[in-house]
This record gives sequence, structure tokens and C-alpha cells, in this order.
Amino acid sequence: MFYSLYISFTDWDYMSSDYSFVGLGNYFDLFGDPLFYGVLWNTLYFSVGVVVPSVFGGLLLALLLVRKQKGMGFYRTLIFSPWVTPAVAVSIVWSWIYEPQVGLANWLLTSFNLPALEWTSSTTWAMPAVIIVTIWKGLGWCMIFYLNALKKVPQSLYEAASLDGASSMQRFLYITLPLISPTTLFLVIITAVDALQAYDQIQVLTQGGPAGSTRTILYMYYQSAFEQFNMGQATAVATVLVILTASLSLLQFILSRKWVHYQ
Amino acid sequence: MAKLFLKKTIKHLFLLLFSFVMVFPFLWMVVSALKTKDEIFHFPPTMWPDSPMWHHFTEAWQLAPFGQYIFNSTFTAVAIVAIQVVNSALIAYAFTHFKFRGKNLLFGIVLLTYMLPAAATYVPSYVILANFNLLDTHTGLILSNAASVLGIFLFRQAFMQIPRELVEAATMDGANHWRILWKVVYPLSKPTFLTFTLISFVQNYNSYLWPTLILNSEEKQLVTTGLRQFFIQEGAYGIQWPLIMAASSFAVIPLLILFAFAQKWFISGISDQGLKG
Repeated sequence: MFYSLYISFTDWDYMSSDYSFVGLGNYFDLFGDPLFYGVLWNTLYFSVGVVVPSVFGGLLLALLLVRKQKGMGFYRTLIFSPWVTPAVAVSIVWSWIYEPQVGLANWLLTSFNLPALEWTSSTTWAMPAVIIVTIWKGLGWCMIFYLNALKKVPQSLYEAASLDGASSMQRFLYITLPLISPTTLFLVIITAVDALQAYDQIQVLTQGGPAGSTRTILYMYYQSAFEQFNMGQATAVATVLVILTASLSLLQFILSRKWVHYQ
Repeated sequence: MAKLFLKKTIKHLFLLLFSFVMVFPFLWMVVSALKTKDEIFHFPPTMWPDSPMWHHFTEAWQLAPFGQYIFNSTFTAVAIVAIQVVNSALIAYAFTHFKFRGKNLLFGIVLLTYMLPAAATYVPSYVILANFNLLDTHTGLILSNAASVLGIFLFRQAFMQIPRELVEAATMDGANHWRILWKVVYPLSKPTFLTFTLISFVQNYNSYLWPTLILNSEEKQLVTTGLRQFFIQEGAYGIQWPLIMAASSFAVIPLLILFAFAQKWFISGISDQGLKG
């Protein structure tokens, strides 16, 4: 970690053994580069695009699946299954689904009389395409956490509220939501941290393109470190990534005091 | 009553449809592997091939050393998991049953590393491995994954629930810490051990970026990297799709089978961790 910080102050290229100390030079370059803001924007777009649907979708599915009924375990298993598979392999499958001419996605769209999309080769749709794959993979994970949280909400509270004449919507808003808030917060942070580190699906589906439209901060880090061997630059990017993640964790800490209810 | 029945039916229909959408890419993968090239480029897509081309699987298997790749992935993942389990259990045991100064501070640091992105350490780790001449070796891959914060965290949660009296009684009987850990603590927290083993195995088997960086030789590749290479070479983005789909199946299906057998432990175990934020 500290070593990484140290390298970020140098212009080391990994190949040569000598390097010079450039101080904050890498950081100035980074923040002076308009491309970098594009990368930051992509990272934000990607993270929000993944976190919000995964967490909401996970909650919705968990609410549908929480009661012990026939078949619920079966649904859970199927919904969770994408999580266990390698992102590289499933992204390859998805890249075929996204194929512009004969892909399944466009077949579906056209059969509903919607226009076919270019998906991974269009600057507008490449990011949503990557986001869809990421949500597909992580949804079951969120669902499992919510299932467990929902099971822990005491039934007696619901019964008491029903006696007081609360509608099912009110019971959900005033009992369920506050009591599962620790899980919500935990999932938001975890999925956000994962989104900041997404790499596999981006590399297979788009390689950061087209025209840098899916290049996120980790992808940029990888490119400058292991494609251009600009270690100084790369570790400077890594430092920014660390700061981003650390502020997320800090935010969690602050928010958890204000919003999160523990039983 | 009728209304309730209707509601239930709608719910089941929705869930059935949704689950189908979730597993559809896997089905599509296998079906596509069985198609001829013409069928795969046919639009609208054909749902089931006229005559399934089972030989695509054998062909893809022969084009690249997938057996070797899968062996490499399994071997390194098993070694990593074994080390991680012992390591994490020891550290978690120390955190729960030893008293020493700065314990909470140390645990705070451990938690902090959980939050920080692993990727940020890639450059320094790469340099360290290079200095030890461990680049392009499975040893290097295994050693660089030897510690797992998630494991420490999970085991600590589980160990804290074990009654102190049990451990004290064992100490009275003259058992040392090593014995206590494996004869008292381990049997009581077996589900956590099992869940962690599974999660960690899946993650290491699936890991891609880091192994790609440090392993270069063909015969040492993991299945994820090997598959990606195969995708670029054979596919050139769109020529040998049936073979690529067959190859993807090689990478995905072992994990789906593992999951089918162990899903109870994934689903019940994962959710017990870290709910207190």
C-alpha cells in the first residue's frame, strides 16, 4: 500500500531500474487530463447503474421469496446461479447475445417492434450493456442477504401493527424497511466497492471502448500499469481509487449512525 | 380465496419467468455450442439446432488444453483455499481468544483492508513477486492469495458465538491452543468453514485479472485466461462461435455442478455474515 503510494510519486516504467522522483507530477497530469474526468464519470455511471438496480431488485425478489412455500428454494437457486460462474466465461456468452446482426438481444427488441441497438459497439449503449451483465451476475447475491434480513424481522411487530390497523404498505414502510436498513447499507457499500473494481466483464465485452465510453477507473489503472508500463501514473490512479473507496466506507460509517436502525 | 389463488399464480408466473431469464444465458451457451455455423448466424435465431453438433465439444477440447487449464484452476484454488482456511482460522482465533494490547486497533486495520480495493496492491505485489522470482509460477499465485480478510472476518463472527466456558474447560484439561482450535472450535463452527471454503474456491477459480498478470506460460494458464485467449484466437470476434460456446461451457459447467450440490451451504451461509454493517 505505502509502496504503491511511493511509486505514484515517481516516473518509473518498470523496465529500467532507475527512475526519478517527480513528486506530485503524476497527480497533476492526471487531474489536468480531460480524459480522466471522462473515466471518473464512467465509473460513477457504472457504479450507480449497477448498485441501484441490484439492491432494489434484490429486495424485491427477497420479498417475493421469503415465505416458505413450494418452489421457493428452486427459484432462489436459479437466480443465484450466475454468481458462481466466471465473469469471463459468461461475458463471452453475453457478447454473443449482444451481437448486433444476429444476437438474441436485438431479436427480442425487434420482435417487440423496437429498434435494434449496436450494443457494445455504440458509445451510448456499451455501458448499459456492461451494466446489464453485471446486474445479472450480482442480483442473486443481494437477494440472499435480504432474505436473511427479512427472516430476522420479528413477526410479533407485524402482528402488533396489524392490530393497530396498519395496512400492508404501512407495515412495509415503517417496520420492514427500517429493520433491514443495516443490510441495505451493507449491500450498497459492498456492491459499490465491487463496481469500482469491475474488470473482467469490461475487458471481454468492450475493452473500455468504444472511444473510452466504458473505461472505468480500474480499467484505466490496468491499462497504464500493464499495457503502457507507466507505473507512476498507474499507482497515482490506484491512489485515487483507494481514496474513493475509503470515502465510501467513511460515508457508510457516518450514515449508519444517522439512518440505520439496529434491533 | 379466489383472489389469493390468483395472486399466488401471478407471483409464481413472474418468478418462473424471471428465473428462466436468469439461467437463459447458460442454456443459450450450451445450445449455441450444438449449432452449425449457419444456424448460429441465422436470423431470427433458431432455438434448437436441427441436428446437435456434439462433436463441437470434443473439437474445442482438443483445440486448446482445457483439461490442463481446468486442472490449473482447480489445483491453485484448492491450495489457496486450504492455506486461507488455516490462516484465517488461526488469526480469527487469536482475535477472539487471546488478550493483547492493540487488539481492536489491529482488527480495525484488518477491516480497513477489506474495504480497500485489492487492485491497488497489484503493482507493488507484482514487483514483490518479481523480486522473489515468483512471476509465472503457481507458487507465486498461491502465496499472493494466502491471506483472506473475508475469512478472518467470517471466522471471527463464528468464533465469538462459541461459549467461553467450553474453551476454558479445554484449557483446564491441558489442551493447547492448536488442539482447542481443531477439536473444540472447529466442530462448533463447521458451517462457517464450509461456506467460506466454497465462496473462496469459487472466487479463486473465477479470478482473472491477477492471474493474467502474473502467469504467462501457456501450460500454467487458468481456465479463465485460457478461455479468453481461445476467444481472441479462434473467434476473431465472430467466426468460430459454436466452438467458443463449447469452450465457455467447459469453464462454467463445473461450477454450476458444484453449486447444484452445495447450494444449501452457499445460500444459508453467506447471509450470516456482516449484517451489522
